[in-house]
Amino acid sequence: MLINHLKLSLRNLWKNRMLSSLNLLGLSIGIGGVLTLMFSVYAYYIADDIIPDQDQIFYLKTHLADGNYYNEAVYPLLDKIKSTSPEVIAGTHLHGWGNIWLEVGDNEFQKTTTYADPEFFDVFALPLKYGNQSTALNEKFSVVLTDKVSKQLFGEENPVGKILIAADTLNLTITGVLEPISPYSSFRLDVLMPNTILKDNVGFKNQNNWDDSFSPIFMKLRPDADLQQFESRVGQLVKENYEDPTVISRMEVIPHTEVRMDSIPVVEIIIAGNLATSFFVLLLVLVNLLNLNTSTMYRRTKDIAVRKILGGSKKGVITQFCLENGILVLLSILISGGLFFGFLLPKMNDIFGADFGEIKFSLTNDYPVVLGAILLGVLVTLVVSILPTLRFISLPVSQGIKGKLDSAKGSFILRNTFIIFQFSIAILFICVAVILNSQIKFMKKADLGFEREHVIVGNIDLDYKDMDAANSSFRTLLNDLEANPYVTDVSTSQAIPSDYYFNYTRYYDADTDTDVRLRRSFADAGYLSTLKIPIVLGRDFNEEMDNGDEKPVIINRSAMKAFGWSTIEGKRLKYKNDDLVGNPVVGIMEDFHYQDLQNAVEPLVHYYRSEDELEKHRYLSVRVVEGKEKEVRDMIALAFSKIESRKNYTQSNLGEKVSGQYRLMDGMLKTVNVVALLTIFISCLGMFGLISFMAKRRIKEIGIRKVLGASVLKIVVLLSKDYMLLVSIGALIAFPVAWYMMNAWLSGFAYSVPIQFWMFALAGCIAFCITAFTLGIQAIKAAKANPVKSLRTE
Amino acid sequence: MLLQLRNIFKWVQQGGQRIFLLKDINLEVQEGEFISIMGPSGSGKSTLLNVIGMLDTFDEGEYDFLSESVHTLKEKYRSNLYKEYIGFVFQSYHLLDDLTVEENLEMPLLYKKIKSSERKALVADMLDRFSIVGKKDLFPTQLSGGQQQLVGVARALIGKPKLILADEPTGNLNSQQSEEIMQLFKKLNKEEGVTIIQVTHSEKNAAYGSRIINLLDGRKI
Repeated sequence: MLINHLKLSLRNLWKNRMLSSLNLLGLSIGIGGVLTLMFSVYAYYIADDIIPDQDQIFYLKTHLADGNYYNEAVYPLLDKIKSTSPEVIAGTHLHGWGNIWLEVGDNEFQKTTTYADPEFFDVFALPLKYGNQSTALNEKFSVVLTDKVSKQLFGEENPVGKILIAADTLNLTITGVLEPISPYSSFRLDVLMPNTILKDNVGFKNQNNWDDSFSPIFMKLRPDADLQQFESRVGQLVKENYEDPTVISRMEVIPHTEVRMDSIPVVEIIIAGNLATSFFVLLLVLVNLLNLNTSTMYRRTKDIAVRKILGGSKKGVITQFCLENGILVLLSILISGGLFFGFLLPKMNDIFGADFGEIKFSLTNDYPVVLGAILLGVLVTLVVSILPTLRFISLPVSQGIKGKLDSAKGSFILRNTFIIFQFSIAILFICVAVILNSQIKFMKKADLGFEREHVIVGNIDLDYKDMDAANSSFRTLLNDLEANPYVTDVSTSQAIPSDYYFNYTRYYDADTDTDVRLRRSFADAGYLSTLKIPIVLGRDFNEEMDNGDEKPVIINRSAMKAFGWSTIEGKRLKYKNDDLVGNPVVGIMEDFHYQDLQNAVEPLVHYYRSEDELEKHRYLSVRVVEGKEKEVRDMIALAFSKIESRKNYTQSNLGEKVSGQYRLMDGMLKTVNVVALLTIFISCLGMFGLISFMAKRRIKEIGIRKVLGASVLKIVVLLSKDYMLLVSIGALIAFPVAWYMMNAWLSGFAYSVPIQFWMFALAGCIAFCITAFTLGIQAIKAAKANPVKSLRTE
Repeated sequence: MLLQLRNIFKWVQQGGQRIFLLKDINLEVQEGEFISIMGPSGSGKSTLLNVIGMLDTFDEGEYDFLSESVHTLKEKYRSNLYKEYIGFVFQSYHLLDDLTVEENLEMPLLYKKIKSSERKALVADMLDRFSIVGKKDLFPTQLSGGQQQLVGVARALIGKPKLILADEPTGNLNSQQSEEIMQLFKKLNKEEGVTIIQVTHSEKNAAYGSRIINLLDGRKI
């Protein structure tokens, strides 16, 4: 019997191969998409599962009186907490301190280095592949590698006991290798070192005080710890010990499980978006199959009746139909698996890998995803085969045998609702894509207050081996550049637009009694002219005038406004409660967008720093005559190839750097585009099946109308107008929702495009055209049929 | 006695009025009879046949089939009853288009859960008997109307029914094909004692039967 069912199912699928392949296509893409989205969500959720007892781990968040907050605290606080709080089992700092260069054999490499207390493994009992947790970080000169780094350096060998040379002088012994860590995990490290090694570092000693909050603090608490009590005790310690406790409003103790959400808020949106998208895509696929299957069942009413007369049972009919759908779903799961591994996963890593880390699929870890996919398949199969069968199965045989269908009037309302729903979602996604697209275009094209074209940007922060030699070669290069006829301006600076440090400093002006937080950077005399940023008041930096002991500053217009100044005559930037004379303000530059347009232009100060201080600057910017970029690039690259450094010199241009700020958003746009296409495709697929079925049902009506003189066009309109109406209703539902959603999203941008009517019109148009095309093909086919033939069918 | 209908009424409600499809039908059928039901369109011929075949219900009256009272039986038993004892032949054949001739014949046996070897034997036997062995791997759409109806009759017979109900079995056939099918019915009735009730418009076909029942507006005349 089963073989018989199977044979029949295959034959049925083959007979309707057009519809079957459309179904297969829709299902495969749909399931593939859902699989990808769900996998990324899954990978995210299990990423920190590698940490045992995560619910007992907490970290500190410092809330400032001015409303700002950060996840760092002062370094000595942890020891104080440990000595006063019995609920703390163990605690560790976890901070960077520059990434030192490590040497093994002839290879040198620089990895993200994280410093932790020897107690680290008592807090985060991360499993070790090699080595011993309890002793790994005990020795001052020890280092623990991640699995990735270990493989990179030593292959599959166990490197424990080997020596790495750090910063040319220190011999570090490898004491452990961590098990692989998911890139979605909160641990973004390559190399773990005991912070005892920093104790002799002068800079570190200076910062190890009760004023500089630079170190995140993690603690493992007893399971029975009273969090509120603990938090208030920490608050008390802050009050008693901090140099200036008034700037701190409170210390929050936060569970480690929330750390990722807390540190990258956009993750929450992406996860929610992923879940919602998968849900809707799945729903669309389901609704679609339901619709198509219902039509199929209509066509088979006679079949079912005959089967029943011949003695078939309801169960048999349902089994047969389940099998048919099951084959389809199983096939599409296989195809979507291929899509997932061959295309979607690499593509996703392409788009989001740079920001969130690449994820990989391994069967041993990720088998729940496979199981989930199969379970999903079974569920989909059951729903889409059983629901449509139910109504037809109970149709009286004597009616079924005549192929009577009218008794199913009620289902049209349901089906129309489905169609409206499908299209409103599809149109919603198109709207989102259109608006997202125009926002990104706007941000990329906007006037930024500087000229981004024809500026070569080189990264000169290269860890030079011989600083003096590098400096003199660099000075020669600068002279050559200034002499080069193709070069109009040259500048070296600590930052360029798109890459300014988040280095905020508080200044106080006694005249206006204002306290202003300025973002601080360093630039030479050529910076503003190279970028063509206008001076509003005063003057630009000048090499001859400014090379004295007193370093002048230039602030931007926003900063001037914030201070409430109308002139810069005699103004100086000073810290509050400071006896120093401060730095003279020599000019005001026009506001320019030194960060992406999601953020407003904040008050900014540039400190003067001479152009040839190679070790302090990070960027070389060169404005070139149009068309001569290549020559100048080659010249600079050649000069740097002669300077010995650990990193290789890289260069690009300012325009690329600026556009690069929107990489993540570009990725989002790509994803939304794909989803929009997918949803409209799936919706049209359903529509396609429906109209072909409707045309069949109305074959007689069409024949009669044609005999009575209706033209092909009239019949096409007749067949499609109801559906176009449904699409319009879908659009009407989608527009306000899209407007509301995108308005909320755009309000997060300091500079955004206004949402305009044409965006919705465009989205509606796209949906309409695609639908009309789909409908048209089928409708024309039906309308062209010979009426003599169609009227003869009984 | 094979079956007996007593005071059968069937109606539909239309605009608050009862429209009678069958009105006070009384009918006794003995085993081995060959009955033709005649009457103009809409006189209730097919409805009567459906009621006899238990494909349709009736609103009033009593129906005994092989001394089981059908009107008191539940749907499930009723379908078991007709599966066992009744074979249907339709005007438009109603073969399953997705199945080959052979598979169409096998279908009723599958539902009766007959063993595979036995099924094969029965089908082969039937193919042989109707001389359609050469057509066994063809699909119904590849056959002429007459051949399709031949398969339809064969399919009705394969379960060894006591009664064959035929609703205008020759309605879609040309005269020569009709002749063949009617000859076949006659032979089955004579030689194997299968009871046959057919609905027909044709006087000529009706004459093959041993008894004619005339219907007009749902009433027996």
